[in-house]
Amino acid sequence: MDPRPTLSRRAFVQAAAATAGALAAAPSLHALAPRARAGDDPPPIPNEIVERVMRERFGDRPIRTGHVELDMPLSAEDGRVVPVIVASDLPMTPARHVKTVHLIVDFNPDAHLAAFHLTPAIGRAEITTRIKMKRATWVRAIVETSDGELWADYARVSVTLNGCG
Amino acid sequence: MRRDVGEARIRVPDQIRRGDLILVNAIVSHPMDTGFFRTRDGAPIPAWYIRDVRVLYGGDEVARFEWTSGISRDPVVSFHLVADREAPLVMRWTDTKGSTFEQSVDIRFTAT
Repeated sequence: MDPRPTLSRRAFVQAAAATAGALAAAPSLHALAPRARAGDDPPPIPNEIVERVMRERFGDRPIRTGHVELDMPLSAEDGRVVPVIVASDLPMTPARHVKTVHLIVDFNPDAHLAAFHLTPAIGRAEITTRIKMKRATWVRAIVETSDGELWADYARVSVTLNGCG
Repeated sequence: MRRDVGEARIRVPDQIRRGDLILVNAIVSHPMDTGFFRTRDGAPIPAWYIRDVRVLYGGDEVARFEWTSGISRDPVVSFHLVADREAPLVMRWTDTKGSTFEQSVDIRFTAT
């Protein structure tokens, strides 16, 4: 499928989710996964793999909920192709910018799925891609600023067809 | 519709003015094999995926992506760019076999 530059971010997730599950007619196809709200506690760390990823990448720095929006479908019919949008309202100036956008999928074989390293030339901290998911799990979008702050959003996504083998 | 591995496209807006924040859409053809699947005959399919993506604008590295096999087959990625000069935008995708695939697009400003 071609990238879809004309669609809005949320419309991209909804359209891509609907395409992936075109034969099913459940209204939840078009629904977005519920997201964490500012001040919410992060989902519990479910296993040693995620614990190690979090420790290696973030040490014991606090990770606050806010300044990040993680848009994913509520239900991923085909775990091989799950649309993801991560967007942050944090600045992208030389003085202070989003340095990295991390994507962590708790119950995937490779929990630390991707890291997108950005510079101020990117102008806006927003990444759209498509990922594989093995089973229902929390997805963590964690952004790291150039001055070391960590901000996050979380989405709980259910998966019908295992996309990881 | 299978393309050759590494065939890539980068899309930017038709009309760009100096200083615009533009959306860049990129797609590269790649199996992104996880190493967890088998062929119909039961032979394991080894892991083979793009692990590193570089984005260069006028020779400067403006973004770098670390990927795993968790990115879907024929990876797509969209990101923004501050179009502040006329220069090539180059993307290089490197996979776990060490192959590098490159595509570029010229950022040119619309005549006013």
